[in-house]
Amino acid sequence: MIRQANAIDFWRGLALVFIFLNHIPGLYYSHFTHASYSLSDSADMFVFLAGWALRYVVGQPGRQQSGGYLVLRLFGRALTLYAAQILITMIAIALLGGAALLADNPLLLEWHNAAAVFQDPVPTHVGLVLITHQLGYFDILPLYVALMVMAPGIALIDRYVPKLLLPVSLALYIVTLAVPISIPTWPVEGQWFFNPLAWQLIFVLGFLIAREDGLGEFVRRHMIAIRIVALPLVLFFLGVVQFNWWPDPTTVPEPKLFFIFSKTYNSPARIIQFLALISVMTVTYPYIRRFAPPLVAYLSMLGRNSLYVFCVGSILSLSGQIVRFLYKGNIYIDTVVVIIGIAIMTLTAWLPEWRESIRRR
Amino acid sequence: MASGMARKHQTTIATGIGAFVLSAMLAAPLAFGEESPAPPQPKPMTTDAMPAPFSQDCQVGNEQIVEQSPLPNVAAALQQRKRIKILAIGSSSSLGRRYTHPGGHSEQIRDILQTAIKGLDVVMINRGVSGELSAQAASRIKDEVALNDPDLVLWQVGTNDALAYVPLDELEHTIVDTVHWLREHKVDVVLAGLQYVKVEAQDDHYKAVRELLRKIAAKENVAIVRRYEAQRLITLAEGSGGGLAPDEFQRSEVGYACLSQYMARAITLGLFGQNLHVRPIAPPTQPQH
Repeated sequence: MIRQANAIDFWRGLALVFIFLNHIPGLYYSHFTHASYSLSDSADMFVFLAGWALRYVVGQPGRQQSGGYLVLRLFGRALTLYAAQILITMIAIALLGGAALLADNPLLLEWHNAAAVFQDPVPTHVGLVLITHQLGYFDILPLYVALMVMAPGIALIDRYVPKLLLPVSLALYIVTLAVPISIPTWPVEGQWFFNPLAWQLIFVLGFLIAREDGLGEFVRRHMIAIRIVALPLVLFFLGVVQFNWWPDPTTVPEPKLFFIFSKTYNSPARIIQFLALISVMTVTYPYIRRFAPPLVAYLSMLGRNSLYVFCVGSILSLSGQIVRFLYKGNIYIDTVVVIIGIAIMTLTAWLPEWRESIRRR
Repeated sequence: MASGMARKHQTTIATGIGAFVLSAMLAAPLAFGEESPAPPQPKPMTTDAMPAPFSQDCQVGNEQIVEQSPLPNVAAALQQRKRIKILAIGSSSSLGRRYTHPGGHSEQIRDILQTAIKGLDVVMINRGVSGELSAQAASRIKDEVALNDPDLVLWQVGTNDALAYVPLDELEHTIVDTVHWLREHKVDVVLAGLQYVKVEAQDDHYKAVRELLRKIAAKENVAIVRRYEAQRLITLAEGSGGGLAPDEFQRSEVGYACLSQYMARAITLGLFGQNLHVRPIAPPTQPQH
């Protein structure tokens, strides 16, 4: 049965639209996403909500499936995400190849780390399958795959020693930043843009806050106090982004990754700003639901079908970049790209629900 | 087929590197911006260092590909500890590519420098992120400098901004601000400009970005590797039947191999300038126009 519109699907739908816009560099409309005013961006929201969604799969205390079933189901989900990553990467490579042929322009073959695929295909195809080679802007799903591979461990700790989950996650995060530990890419030398050992913390926080008891209960019970603390933090970080109110990164103490704004390691300031932002932002949901129900229904539909929409959105972002390049990006082209892109994302979310409704008749 | 061609390049380029050193490049007059503030330069170093060599494929006659600028912080590091740390950053991650040199182009730069300067230990740190615009790279440069404390930043800049039609004033502000920040933090910088692609040659925005980079390099007195001009000349030479690459994409790959050599040259010139010991060599093959 299709879920009713709800806050989680609504915010996830919004994150998907913002990811689509933010993944087209230079796009005029990306100025209207919160990434322009915030340390964190849609990636943080997407991963946090993925952790929240994991709670739906694992179940609340007392209403849980067997451990074995859970592990199999989560590994199955990881496999689905992996297959999606391989599929969209292959489509992206074909898009770049086709556009390069069409425009007779080899620069397109070099976009987003794709050159290795064309020039050094033997090791690079191994790297693609191992997800140690990732195209630029196609690096969130590998993170999600890695998190889903960790998910059975997270779910089992949560079931049998729930009080240990946050300390373990926090300890892993601290060690990753303090050492620091990076995940290398291959065959092109580098590191994963999203370090899963660091990003697991925001995923686990989403999972724990979605719990009816424990941290989730604490957050809900003290939400007003949290928002009172959060609002000045959001405003302060707005100043940090807009007016550079932060010490020079070379002057911060060691280990520096704790005090700079690294997206790769999802530095503490990003996480604090993100948590503050969502606690303030969620105030608006009841009003949006009351005054703009079609918007809630629409974004919830995108959120309910997030994997399909994310995959199609990634391809649309790349297509948008190619179109902007071919037609010399300007506001008119940007408008066309955004309208067509969102229309296709809408169709992508609507189709499976339409099929489901036909099946149920 | 592609890997076969890549192997062919590998062999040819490796042979070429060993075979030729281009002294004529050093004799070419060096262009500087009129408003160049002269940063303090350590006293000239006495050394047996040679200019980092170009392979045959990468020689472009008298065209000035590497615009020299002093690298005082690298020179100081060299004098104090015989070890320099280089941060490679930019949009295409190309320095991590490994097709024409085992370990990638950054390893190639390291090897060339260590061969050219006896006893030198070079540490290369690769932090390219594909698809990244200069504004994002600029922010990461500051973090990476804080984390890795390099003596030199090799910054491949402009291509993605040109393709995404980033406004020129915005791009200029980003680059100039970052160059100033690096200078304040005692880190030298070598810029690598846009690639040459035939269909882009007539594009006004692409041309404007290229000119902007040259202008910034001259005004701020930073070294720049003029990849566009180098690749264009290599392409012209190949057009006359003198080159290796049968298609434009492969030429682009040769261009990357050459980029490593040009960057290594920019570093040795920045370090030693006219004090370099120049070996007598056979004259290069002139590209046909």
